[in-house]
Amino acid sequence: MERWAGINHQNLNLLIGLAIGLNLLALSTSRLPMLIRSMSAQGVILGVMPILMEPHADWRVLLVALATIGGKGLFIPGMLRRAMRAVRIDRELEPLIGFVPSLLLGAGGTIAAFALTPLLPLLAEHADSLLVPGALATVITGLILLIGRTEAVAQVCGYIILDNGIYLFGLLLIRAMPLMVEAGVLLDLTVGVFILGIIVDRIQRTFDSLDTRILTTLHE
Amino acid sequence: MLLVLTVSNGLHFLVAWEVFAVCGYFLITLDGNKRAVRTAGWLYLATSHAGTLCLCVFFGLLAVKTGGWELGPLRGDASLAPLFWLALAGFGIKAGIFPLHIWLPSAHANAPSHVSALMSGVAIKMGVYGIVRFSGWLPVPAAAGWVVMALGATSALLGIAFALAQNDFKRLLAYCSVENIGIIMIGIGGALLARSHGDAAWGRLALAGALLHVWNHGAFKALLFFGAGSVLHATGTREMSRLGGLWQRMPWTAGLFALGAVAVVGLPPLNGFVSEWLIYLGLFDAVAGKQASAWVAMPAAILLGLAGALALATFAKAGAMIFLGAARTKSAALAHECGNWMRGPMLALAGICLGLGLVPTLVWPALTSAAGAWQPVQSGGLSDCGNGEADGQRAGYPHHSGPGIVPAAVIGLTIGETHAAKPSAGGAPAMAEVPLATLGWVQLGLAGLMAAAGTLLWRKVMANNLRRGPTWDCGYAAPAARMQYTSGSFAGLASAWFSWILRPLRTMRRVHGHFPAEAIYQERVPETVLDMVILPLAARGMQVSAAVRRLQHGHLSFYILYVVVALAALASLVLLENVP
Repeated sequence: MERWAGINHQNLNLLIGLAIGLNLLALSTSRLPMLIRSMSAQGVILGVMPILMEPHADWRVLLVALATIGGKGLFIPGMLRRAMRAVRIDRELEPLIGFVPSLLLGAGGTIAAFALTPLLPLLAEHADSLLVPGALATVITGLILLIGRTEAVAQVCGYIILDNGIYLFGLLLIRAMPLMVEAGVLLDLTVGVFILGIIVDRIQRTFDSLDTRILTTLHE
Repeated sequence: MLLVLTVSNGLHFLVAWEVFAVCGYFLITLDGNKRAVRTAGWLYLATSHAGTLCLCVFFGLLAVKTGGWELGPLRGDASLAPLFWLALAGFGIKAGIFPLHIWLPSAHANAPSHVSALMSGVAIKMGVYGIVRFSGWLPVPAAAGWVVMALGATSALLGIAFALAQNDFKRLLAYCSVENIGIIMIGIGGALLARSHGDAAWGRLALAGALLHVWNHGAFKALLFFGAGSVLHATGTREMSRLGGLWQRMPWTAGLFALGAVAVVGLPPLNGFVSEWLIYLGLFDAVAGKQASAWVAMPAAILLGLAGALALATFAKAGAMIFLGAARTKSAALAHECGNWMRGPMLALAGICLGLGLVPTLVWPALTSAAGAWQPVQSGGLSDCGNGEADGQRAGYPHHSGPGIVPAAVIGLTIGETHAAKPSAGGAPAMAEVPLATLGWVQLGLAGLMAAAGTLLWRKVMANNLRRGPTWDCGYAAPAARMQYTSGSFAGLASAWFSWILRPLRTMRRVHGHFPAEAIYQERVPETVLDMVILPLAARGMQVSAAVRRLQHGHLSFYILYVVVALAALASLVLLENVP
């Protein structure tokens, strides 16, 4: 039992490390399919985590895991790909923060997250886990994407990566209130799809040459 | 406006106050197609809202401290005292106390004359009403009396100084309103001061004077504004330097305006004298009391006297420029008398001025009950209070007979003393009523004397073969209207004393050389407080806000950045607190 928990702990840290690596990949790429792919891979990894954390997987934890994998790994990336095809754009052309600077910022943010975590008042059982710094690093990555990219699809990816970070943080509480986490995932999904809908609509308006004025008059 | 007076709930009061203020804006901008009118309206609206803001804070804090919006006497709770300053600022803006008067001249000058009359006569009194109401209900800070009296003296003196320097006669009347509000404030300040020192007698006199002056000013200022409106209607200009000689063309207007001017200056037979005299009486009693309050009452009385003298100069100038002399322009020469509908209200107001002046005892019961409501005599300290007053009065009299400004004052006071010495007289109200009654007789006597002197003079003149000639025909071959004093030159000496605050703008080209070119001398008094203090400050605020506004540009990414920066700052704050 102890040994099993130890192996799981190591596996969990490995997965979080993978997620952080995917963060950096997402920051460095200029190609939108690559961005979407790294985001969906991160979603799958996040979905696997609850199963590893709970030694006795009951049906609720399984449901959470499946919903996460289905939503973040398959459904949202699929929607994004569709949106991308609809507007025929697959590259971020004019980022506000360049790819190398954003990669550096992301790396700096990750280091800062690791450095700051010991300062936070955490429970002893979470102290040696990578969960908290990983969550912080992912949130920072999401924010950099949101700020630095002008492409709407890339911004949605940033939003979802930000959301992944919040989800990672929520995993700390999975033992205390699994239902809450479950509800959180479902809420995430709803909001994600909602925002997707709005943004796809906005893209269609923006790239329709007739209606560009709508956005300029929306200024202010 | 009536709602403001009748509600007893703070929230309702605020709503009513705001409705009243906005109505004022629409009244001012009735001639909204003129640029100056719109500017004046906006200035009024902005300052009025600044005042309402103070009042919102005032009522909000009051509600927080008392736990409800209901208003009522709350004199026991000393922690409410600092709120008085907020009320003073909020109502002071509406009343037009000197540094807060910036909206008043342009609003009064640019509104239609009947609206000016209403605003000056009634609307700015709402500010006074607010101050009186809340200083009566709430505990006031110890310094309140001093500050209100100092503000009043400043308003009175500087208001009339600005009035003296104006060329626009409606603006002159507006600044004169500032002066009168100052006089009222002196009275209220005296009352507050007296209350905080525990001797109520002279405070009651001052308060009674202030309240009476509210009414009187409402009457004669409305009369003057109606007169001004009539002149404006007849000639189409507000510049005094373009008028002149209107007494022949518009005798009714001229006579009624002169009556109003006599009243506003506070000369004996009319009502302005009564209320100012009561205030003087209160101040002199305070001086004679030889307490700490004497040190503020004496300068206030001196400044009040100075303001009165300047008011006389101001209205001598206004009357002389508008109605006497020869017409300076064609429009003045072709002026016509106003119709019956315009004359009627003026006659009614003049009647009020005369009535209040000749029979001031008529209003005394109302004044007594108002002053009593403002400051109910504590049941325990009644006898103490009465004795103290009587003592203070007795101590005061020997000093009074010395200066003796008007014989009436001395007569009134001596009778008042004998009356007050009897315990059955019932304290202050009866004590001051007697001088008022005496004053009524003196006023009647003076009026009769003046009428007799006038008739005598007229007979004498008629007997000596009256011959009419053009004004300023002092031996010149070809006198022209331009030779007359202008309004600027008439008031030049007196306004030069105040040039440190008036800051007149001068354009001057002197005559020099053997073949001199055209010489020019122009002088204009700006809105000094507005132009030199408020507007630069506002421009500064505008710069800062414009700089801050650049942060709002519509780029979503930057907004997220702001959020991140704010979050990071908050997080670092928390961390920094936890680290040591």
